[in-house]
This record gives sequence, structure tokens and C-alpha cells, in this order.
Amino acid sequence: MPSSSPSYARFWRGDIALALLVVGVITAGLVLLRDRLSISLIALLYLLPVGLSTAQWGLAAGVAAALGAFFAFNFFFIAPYYSLSVHQAQDLLVLVVFLGVAIFVSQIVGRARASLAAAQAREREALQLYELSATLARLRTRDEIGQALAQRLHEAIQAALTEVALRADGQQPERLVRLPPEAPPAATAPHFVVPILSGRGDLGEVRVWRVTPPPAESDKRLLRAFTSQGALALERAALEQAELRSKVLEEGDRLKSALLSSVSHELRTPLASIKAAVTSLASGEVDWSSRARADLLKMVEEETDHLNRLVGNLLDMSRIEAGAVEPQRQWNLLGDILGGTLNRLRRTTGRRQFVVQIPDDLPLVPVDSALLDQVFANLIGNSLKYAPPDTPITVTAWQPDEATVQVQVRNQGPHVPSEQLERIFDRFYRVYASERVTGTGLGLSICKGFIEAHGGRIWAENLPDGFAFTFTLPLAWDGHRPPQVPPDADL
Amino acid sequence: MSAPPHILVIDDEPQILRALRTILGEKKFHVTTASRGEEGLALAAAQPPDVVILDIGLPDLSGIEVCARLREWSQAPIIILSARDSERDKVAALDRGADDYLTKPFGIEELLARIRVALRHAARAQSPRATVITAGPVTVDLARHIVTRDGVEVKLTATEFRLLAYLAANADRVLTHQSILAHVWGAPQADQVEYLRVYMRQLRKKLEADPGQPQYLLTEPGVGYRFVADE
Repeated sequence: MPSSSPSYARFWRGDIALALLVVGVITAGLVLLRDRLSISLIALLYLLPVGLSTAQWGLAAGVAAALGAFFAFNFFFIAPYYSLSVHQAQDLLVLVVFLGVAIFVSQIVGRARASLAAAQAREREALQLYELSATLARLRTRDEIGQALAQRLHEAIQAALTEVALRADGQQPERLVRLPPEAPPAATAPHFVVPILSGRGDLGEVRVWRVTPPPAESDKRLLRAFTSQGALALERAALEQAELRSKVLEEGDRLKSALLSSVSHELRTPLASIKAAVTSLASGEVDWSSRARADLLKMVEEETDHLNRLVGNLLDMSRIEAGAVEPQRQWNLLGDILGGTLNRLRRTTGRRQFVVQIPDDLPLVPVDSALLDQVFANLIGNSLKYAPPDTPITVTAWQPDEATVQVQVRNQGPHVPSEQLERIFDRFYRVYASERVTGTGLGLSICKGFIEAHGGRIWAENLPDGFAFTFTLPLAWDGHRPPQVPPDADL
Repeated sequence: MSAPPHILVIDDEPQILRALRTILGEKKFHVTTASRGEEGLALAAAQPPDVVILDIGLPDLSGIEVCARLREWSQAPIIILSARDSERDKVAALDRGADDYLTKPFGIEELLARIRVALRHAARAQSPRATVITAGPVTVDLARHIVTRDGVEVKLTATEFRLLAYLAANADRVLTHQSILAHVWGAPQADQVEYLRVYMRQLRKKLEADPGQPQYLLTEPGVGYRFVADE
């Protein structure tokens, strides 16, 4: 409180002098009016400087005013005039009343002052707390909350050094926020240490060092209030994270059920053909012609390939869903990758004609060749399924601008209704529920996942004479442009 | 007649062992099998194989480690069996001394072709090397540094020839990016796969009828390259 502060003592004498001055002024006025005022009114009027001085300058000034008023009253207004002799008990009573009034007023005023100061302090704290909770409410992550708590606390307490230490919690590692950030670790023990406690237990602690003004009890209260706000915010963030995780899991579950229902059907179809073909061949009852035998065996082989593609697609899809696709980039030539894909697919492409138009001066592209090989395989596989068998499949690549390479896989297949052009990249989406065409409805969504993992974009469009998939790939890799390989000098 | 070639199969899938034992036995190979890495290494030491067929995902040792330990004392060709989710292990095994790979599921014709290539290479390692390799219209004369296509000499730069010569000397085997870069360019360029890409494109332009769909200089996606020679 201000009364206990040393600066207040310096004004003591001045206060008393002022109190006595007020008494003097009143006395002068009363002396002029002495004949027209009754003695009891004068006594009453002398209460004015006593009360005023006490209220204005405190108890000491009030007592000084009371004594001054008593002597002035006695000296100027009580017979015999101009003497300080006190003859009657009544005069003593006046003095006691003056002193009593001074003490009473000082008590009331003192209490009012103290409660005003306390109210102002509380208002300030409430405001700071409000600002803190308003800030915290906007934050979503543990680290942001720790940072904001340290920041606000540091300012509110005017600390020399503030540390917010958050414990590791299974999801996130330990973290220490120190303000000011460039400050070296403190050499002494902190003045205040408050644990951050929540329903989930001990989340960490707040440590504060003070230099000037020295640490006070009110700081501790503020610190506790701030820390519990911080704990609440941390708790809320943790709950939000948990909710998000459970939503992701739920979504994953939904995907898995959709996958299972699609997959069990898709798996059973080739298995049924394989079983039928193999048991036919194994049965001794029928003497199969060599042509029929070859047909059945061909069917078994095709169906096992189909099963293998299916399992591969499921693997890729689960990697995309898990966000586990991290392209292993290298500088690659698109023609090189596509050549590998076409070679790998040779057995399934049959006599299909491929036209590859990749200019020789197309730069190297920073891609994962295995993922891009899969993209080519899926897009070509899609064209093989839907485009008539005697029509060619064309792959072209070009550079629409300095930063991008664009690739198009084009066929002479049927159009897709324009409102479905985007949806064909969705999982399990099939345009034609044709019995002739088998697939999981995963191939294109895998392409989308892989191309997007490279920072590219993929879309489908109807052409005047067919259908096309187009995708883009960025040419820069970590800010580097494609390298130029110097030509061999020694020809 | 000499003894049939000995093939050691190391795989933890009993069905694969059973199938290979039956099929390869029928093809007049002498087949031994192991379902664990340590067991396979012990078998190889007791009875040196002519070819090792090794699954990359074994329960005790990784296929990569089996490769490395086998290579400490044996030069027998190793053919890796890999699944689609073990691409990176496959490349590591090839870099550690494996000779070839097959991705499961594979056709038996493919496996037999790889075994034939492996046996041929093992035999060639002991006899004087063939110095002229042909692939369709292309011939590579390693000794005289002459490459022809349809009988006409093809001008190659020094690096192009070194690359082609390394591929042709190891015809029909898969060569990883790393091993090609190390052999043809030497250590400083060992991680600059772009050199390899660009020089392969140049070679294809000079030697292939359709460089976009090569017949002899094949890309093995994510692994490396293979030069396909006439049998």
C-alpha cells in the first residue's frame, strides 16, 4: 500500500504544515466573525479543518489539525481570550472530540483508499486475465499456447526472465519457452515456480525471475491465475487434438469398410475363375482339347495378374491414405521412365500401338521414378480398358512454361459426362458399371495421390476424338533448376 | 555328363519352396531349400551352389545381409525375390552383390531365363570372355572398341562407349544406377544419376529403332538398366 512506501514519509512535514495552515485560515476567518457566532457553532466549524486534513493528508496531519484547532479555539474563543489555560472539563471534552473525529475520519478514508487501490489492482489483473484468455482461445497448438502464456505473463509481471516449460506428453516432445528469448539461462533459483496442473496431470511449470520491483504476494496471485488459464487452454488443445485424431481414425474406418466391401467382391471374382479353370484341368473326367487347355491356362494367368494389380493398388492406396507417400526424387527423364513402364506392361498391352512424343530437349524432372512408373501404368491401364483395342494410345510431354512439365496420356475411348470428369479421381468411383471392365476404382485416385505428392496436378478431359488424362510436374527441386549435363568433349 | 547345376532357394514361404522344388527339380536342377537366412548360409557353405535364389524378407536376417555375407566368400550368382513393398531393399541387395531380381509374383519362364543368364555368366567368368556381344542389329566389340548397327559403324563418344561396354559385358543382368555410375564415371559422379539418364538417352538414339520404346537398352524402373543381348 502507498502508506507504507518510503516515498510517502518525505511529504509528512509538508502535510502537517498544510493542515496547520488550514486551521490558521479558518481561525483567521472565525476571529473576524467572533462576535456574531455562538461558541458552539465555532466549535462545530473547527471540525471542518480536522476532517479535511485527515481525509486529504492522513492521520498525522489530522491529529496535528485537531491539536492546532484545540489550541486556537482555546486561545481565541474561550474566555479568558488569548490565554491557553483550560479551566473547565468541557474544554477537555472539546479536545477529545477533535482528536476522535480526526482518528475516525482517517480510518474511514484509509480504508476507502486501500479498497480503491485493491479494486484497481484487481481490475488490472482481471483485464490482463481477460486479454490472456482471449488470446489463448484463438490458439490451437500446445506450443503456441506456451509461447502466448510466457509472453503475457512476462509483460504482466514485469519479469526479468520468464520460462514456460512443457513436459513431453507422448504426442509432443518437451518444450521450453524463454523470454526474452536471447537471455542466458538464469544463474539463481527463480523467485516463483508454479506448476501447470490440469485434469490430465502435471503439464509442466512456469518459472519467473524478478529484479525490480521486488517480488510481491500479488505477483504470485497473478501468476497462479495466469497459469491456471494456461493449463485450461493446454487441456482444451489436447482435447481438440484427440478429437481430430479420432475423426481421422473414424474416416479411416469408413474407408476400410468401403475398401473391404469393394475388395472382397473384386478378389473373389478372379479367384472364382482361377478355381474353376484349375479344377477343370485337374479333373480327369474331361479330355480337354489342347486349345481349351491353353485357353483355361491363359485365363488363370490373366486372373492372377489381375489379382496382383489389385493387391498393388490396395498397398498404394493405403500408403496415400496414411500420408506415407514421400517421393524419393531423382533427376529423371520422362521418356526413360515411360520406356520402363511400357516394357513392364508388354505382356498385358498385347498388340496395342503406342505413340510416344517426348521432345529430346525436355529437361530432367525431379520425380520418384517408381511412383511415376505407377502413374503411367495406371493411366495406360485405364486407356487399355476403355479405348477400343485397335486404336493407339498416345503419350506426349511438353513444357507449357519455364517452371512446369506437362504430360498427356490420350486415347480414342468414349467420352465421360463432363459433370463426372472430376469425380473419376475419387476412390471407388466408376463411370461405367460395365461387366466387361474390371477394376477397383482405385487406379486414378492413386495417380492423383502420387502426382499431388510431387506438387503437381492431374485432370481428365474429353477431346474431339477421344479422352485424355493430363498432369503437371514442377521442374524445381528445393529451388534448384534441372541440371544440364555437359556433352562429351572427346568424340 | 556333368552333374546338374545346384540351386539353393532361401525363402520363408513353404508354398514357394514347395513350388520351386517341384518345378526346378522337374527341369533337372539339383535343388536345396532353406527357410531362414542362417540356415541358407550354412547350406551354401556345406554344398556350394551354382545359383542362389534369395527372398528379400526373411524372418531372421535381412536378404541384404545374407547377400553381403555370402559375397564375403562366394561368387555364386544371387537372384533376389522381392515383393512390391520391398523396392528399396531390393536395390540395396543389388548394390551389395546380388546379380538380378524378380518381383513376386513371377512367371516361371522369367525365373528360368534369369537362372540361365546367371549360369552363363558364372561359366563365362571362368572361361575367356566373349568380346563381341550382339543384340538384334547391334554388335559391340569390346576388344576393338567398335559398335555397329546393321553392319554400319556407329560413332560413340568415349563415355557413351564406356557405358555401353559395361552394360554389354554384363548383358542380361540388371545393373543398378550406383554400380553403373561408379564403373563408368568413377566416384565423384556416383550420386549424379542425371548423367546416366542423359547418356542412356543418347545411346538409345544411336542404337534403338524407337528410342521411346527401347528393345535392347531397357529401363528397370527404380533400379537401373539392363542390356538385352541375343541368347
